[in-house]
Amino acid sequence: MFSYFAKHADMLLGAFAEHLLIVFETLFLSVILAAVISYFLLKSEKATNMVIQIFSAVYSIPSMALFAMLIPLLGLGNATAIPVLVAYNQYLLIRNIMSGMQQVDKSMLEAGTGMGMSHWQLVTRVQLPLAMPSIVAGIRLSIVSTTGIAVIAASINAGGLGKILLSGLRTMNVNKILWGTILSVIIALIADVGLRQLEKRIRR
Amino acid sequence: MKNRIRKAAKGIIILTLSISVLIGSALSTQAADKIRVASKDFTENEIVAEVYALALEDAGLAVERIFDVGSSVIHTSLISNEIDIYPEYTGTGLISILGLDPITDPQEVYDTVKDAYEEQFQVTWLDYSSANDGQGLVIRTAAAEEYGIVTISDLQKYATKLRFASQGEFDERADGIPALEALYGPFDWKSSKVYDNSLKYQVLASDEADVSPAYTTEGRLTEEQFTLLEDDKQVWPPYNLAPVVRDEVLEANPEIAEILNAVSAAFTTENITALNAQVDIEGEEFTDVARAFYEETVKSSK
Amino acid sequence: MTAVELKNVNKQFPGMSYKALDNVSVTIEEGEFITILGSSGCGKTTLIKTINRLYEPDSGDIFLYGKNIRDTNPVELRRSIGYVIQQIGLFPHMTVRDNIATIPKLLKWDKAKTDEQVDRLLSLVQLDPAEFRNRYPSQLSGGQQQRIGLARALIADPKVMLLDEPFGAIDAINREKLQNELKKIHAESHKTYLFVTHDIREAFKLGTKIIIMNQGKILQYATAQEIICKPADRFVKELIQTTTDVSKDYVSGGEGI
Repeated sequence: MFSYFAKHADMLLGAFAEHLLIVFETLFLSVILAAVISYFLLKSEKATNMVIQIFSAVYSIPSMALFAMLIPLLGLGNATAIPVLVAYNQYLLIRNIMSGMQQVDKSMLEAGTGMGMSHWQLVTRVQLPLAMPSIVAGIRLSIVSTTGIAVIAASINAGGLGKILLSGLRTMNVNKILWGTILSVIIALIADVGLRQLEKRIRR
Repeated sequence: MKNRIRKAAKGIIILTLSISVLIGSALSTQAADKIRVASKDFTENEIVAEVYALALEDAGLAVERIFDVGSSVIHTSLISNEIDIYPEYTGTGLISILGLDPITDPQEVYDTVKDAYEEQFQVTWLDYSSANDGQGLVIRTAAAEEYGIVTISDLQKYATKLRFASQGEFDERADGIPALEALYGPFDWKSSKVYDNSLKYQVLASDEADVSPAYTTEGRLTEEQFTLLEDDKQVWPPYNLAPVVRDEVLEANPEIAEILNAVSAAFTTENITALNAQVDIEGEEFTDVARAFYEETVKSSK
Repeated sequence: MTAVELKNVNKQFPGMSYKALDNVSVTIEEGEFITILGSSGCGKTTLIKTINRLYEPDSGDIFLYGKNIRDTNPVELRRSIGYVIQQIGLFPHMTVRDNIATIPKLLKWDKAKTDEQVDRLLSLVQLDPAEFRNRYPSQLSGGQQQRIGLARALIADPKVMLLDEPFGAIDAINREKLQNELKKIHAESHKTYLFVTHDIREAFKLGTKIIIMNQGKILQYATAQEIICKPADRFVKELIQTTTDVSKDYVSGGEGI
């Protein structure tokens, strides 16, 4: 197993780096999009429920089907894979962001507003910090989800470990399967550590 | 005050990172005007596509390889101008892509798909190879001997005693179960579970199932423990191997036709099966197998 | 000087059979400690919430030191008015110091001034700054939390304080202490307090003048003694009679006059 790694180190590490990049790029875009959408949803519970329903429907579409639908528009490879991954993450992120925000005690919101906080100040100084645990949980889920689905994206020519894993599965190459899996797990771990660092910085 | 500067700095860094990330991914999908040769995600198609790529490169053309594209999206990719060439099968084109009824004569199948593709997709079918990788059903030899099953008609009679290992797609595909049942009658399998295509021989070998869909040139069919069933009523059309090319690319590089026709002429059902066996059974890399074949068989015959 | 004035203010909430505020007009002088008394649904909370524009009246005008509050940006308005609520609403993720410093942060005071004022206010509400400054709300008792709530509202030195049943969730012993301290704080400042309560004794003990409300209307607005001796109507009379001790304390010229 280790001799395989030694022999194919550059291929494995190349795929690893690609996969890492895809996961981080996806996560970055997913969080920003979810944050923007959530900010607008704060005002209306009805809109919130509707939007979460829509994304939950998207989430239930099998990845290959969604890829197939977008190839004519966006092309093969990362150009389709990443938007699809971002779309899937919206359900996890928005749901967790909104539930975190909604769980904030109404008395705090009243106190804040009564003291003269603007809506934005209320959101950033009171709601957001208190919603953090829920939001971070959502991001954790997205990391796992993204790392997994990114593997499937190999069949639309996206980069990453998927190529190695799927090829290994096709030819029953144990080394490829093993290393593909191990490296994917490492990515999920790295992302998790990165997340904890971010959490600490925000707690400040 | 210090706080504000820190916040602004963070904001700028994040903005720069995101822009560079977006630009980076946009750039990475660009490539010079290379001919994009693609393959489906199974061994045989990888080998054949690699041979196409080698042949084109040998003739001085710039090639970009986009391999292992899922069968369910590869046609879409071709007509969406994401890829330019890939190895297709006449039968697949007829039944799965065009949705027409099976035809038994190989030439007729070819002519039909050639005309239809030209008209509907502006895609050209180059010459077809004698190599036929058709749809089939494989059974564990032990089970075949137990019930005396040689043909698919025999199979249908004993379906209730047999476990089916489906690939998922096969249950729905026009040339899958629906076609079989229309011609041979209902197949009331004892059990039917879905497995990934790459696992089916594993599953049969470990006696978890008895029957599975197969492609007639799969390497593992050469093993004693597996038997390919005879399609006595001819439910399936021929699936001859041929390159499909976008007209635009063919017009820009007309020499592609001659190069790939020579390759197609070199493939036979027997040598394709042998090539598959080298990868699937002996564990060689498809790139090596393709190269060896190209050097020895195609190049030398020029 | 008139601190707060309501002129013909009306407010109706959908689905209610009577108005929350029914043509309410009242003038409150600077320096008064006004307690607003009534049972649930009488409109007392609605009244003070129109003053800091948490509710907007359907019609009528409200003046703060002569200026119509409709002409002031609500957010700015609220920063100049102290607001204390029954549920307290301290921010659990912030220290006591940061909680008290909420408005100073919004007004962008510098750190030195903020720290100085925070400590001053902690002392004012009888909490040792060194001990409490860096604690978190979860580490405080209910009584302590509401003292912080008060400190938080008082820190920017607002001329008007709105208190909505601030001691409603505090135990009886601490409530008494807090009432006394609040009265003292008020007496030493020149602020105008509007204090909502459903507790007659609290209303009479604290208020320099008392507003009695029922079903959106002000029934009587007078000193404790006046109310007891000359109740405006049967409702007020019956209200007084529910607590006989109240009359005893005030008829003989006790506190509050």
